Amino acid sequence: MKKWLGVAVLLLAAPAMAQARTWQLQSSTLTYHVVHPLHHAEGVSHAARGKGVCQAGTCNFLVAAPVKSFQSGDTNRDLHMLQVTRGAQYPMVVVRVTVPLAELHPGTLKADLEVQFAGQDVHYAQVPFQISAQGKDLVLSGTVPATLTDFKITPPELLMMPIRNQIPVTVRMTWAPG
Amino acid sequence: MRMAQIAGAVMLAAGLAWGQAATLHGKVAESSGAAIPNAQVEATSMATGMARRAQSDATGGYTLPGLAAGSYTVTFSAAGFTSRSRQVRLTAGAEQALNAALTPALSLGSLGFPASETQGNAQEQALLNRRSHMLHIHQNLGLITMIPLVATVVSGGFAGGRASHTGSRNLHAILGTTTAALYAATAYYAIAAPKIKGVKKKGPIKLHEAMAWIHVPGMILTPILGAMAYSQRSKGERVHGIARLHGQVAVITLAAYTIALLAVTVHSGPVGHAAAHSLHAALHLFGRRRPNAPVEGAQL
Repeated sequence: MKKWLGVAVLLLAAPAMAQARTWQLQSSTLTYHVVHPLHHAEGVSHAARGKGVCQAGTCNFLVAAPVKSFQSGDTNRDLHMLQVTRGAQYPMVVVRVTVPLAELHPGTLKADLEVQFAGQDVHYAQVPFQISAQGKDLVLSGTVPATLTDFKITPPELLMMPIRNQIPVTVRMTWAPG
Repeated sequence: MRMAQIAGAVMLAAGLAWGQAATLHGKVAESSGAAIPNAQVEATSMATGMARRAQSDATGGYTLPGLAAGSYTVTFSAAGFTSRSRQVRLTAGAEQALNAALTPALSLGSLGFPASETQGNAQEQALLNRRSHMLHIHQNLGLITMIPLVATVVSGGFAGGRASHTGSRNLHAILGTTTAALYAATAYYAIAAPKIKGVKKKGPIKLHEAMAWIHVPGMILTPILGAMAYSQRSKGERVHGIARLHGQVAVITLAAYTIALLAVTVHSGPVGHAAAHSLHAALHLFGRRRPNAPVEGAQL
């Protein structure tokens, strides 16, 4: 019963989403994951802002967050992260996404991302995201398979051991029709 | 005669065509309906590629007269908005309306970030680079210092006591001096590294720095007490006075130094947990065994 009710809500919500011309990022959690032979670390930011504009069957989204807004719970690590990612020189991480309006509905969305970070522009093709509806809002979650080499970042070392090249960034964002 | 007739017919047709030119007009506005003045409107003939341009007035209105019949791509653009193109087919003599609603362009500015937050600062980056470089040396030197530090404490067990030889004491003194020199260099790179203003320290770095309140005085006191003990033993005296604390101070210094090192290196994951347990067990063991340790053995 509960499952059918959920499906009905999604079906009712989908047309409303497709008709919305603009979207506003309501809340977000961006988390990077770092793995070192001696420990794991995560940095979290809730400071992202974003907008989406849909017209002529295409939706363009822009999301940006200050690099220094990522907090790992360790000041020293955060300052080191800021340094290796050239965060003072390039203080924002900016993501642009173009999605066909028809694909903006609950389910799996494969999106092409243009990421500006650490002074580099990197394209990630067909990154899968899960979209679910919460009333009129749209909740998007997924993982961007970022690596240090993508952004020409020298791997930070601890006790002469570098961190792993993979720095996946998990994303959870709630978008509201503007 | 026939050529003249054809030329006349072509001129007549052209004249009629000009007389029946179409006019395109409309309004450029935001999605909300607010007029967009000074928007650029460009109509490009899909047949010839020729373009005609107009600019919207204060009410957002525009007019493009004298367009030949045919299909056009009309592009609307304005500063701060996303350009939009539409296709339209004009018939001869028609006055056709074409309105456009533009949406605000997606830019960092449109997200509301202040310029101070989005503009890079090369000086601050240089400061961060210098800080990281110095702390990297601090970290590596700190790790290297650990080797003679442990060796000094271990050799201390053979350098003290009545049965100890001068050679053991000399080795202990050399190791201690090496440790002190490396420790001083390590400390220099931490102290001299540029400080970043407005950063409130949190996390394991606080424990790392707190331990310095123990191992810095310990590293100063240990060689002094060691020199006193060395002098007393060289004179054939039994180590006495505050020099008797040399061994205890050295062990406490080593413990604080080890905690400081572990605090910033292993604090999660299986290796981190194992290290934390080992440290806890070692401290527990040390705490239980110290009271029963031989007095002479603990002195140096």
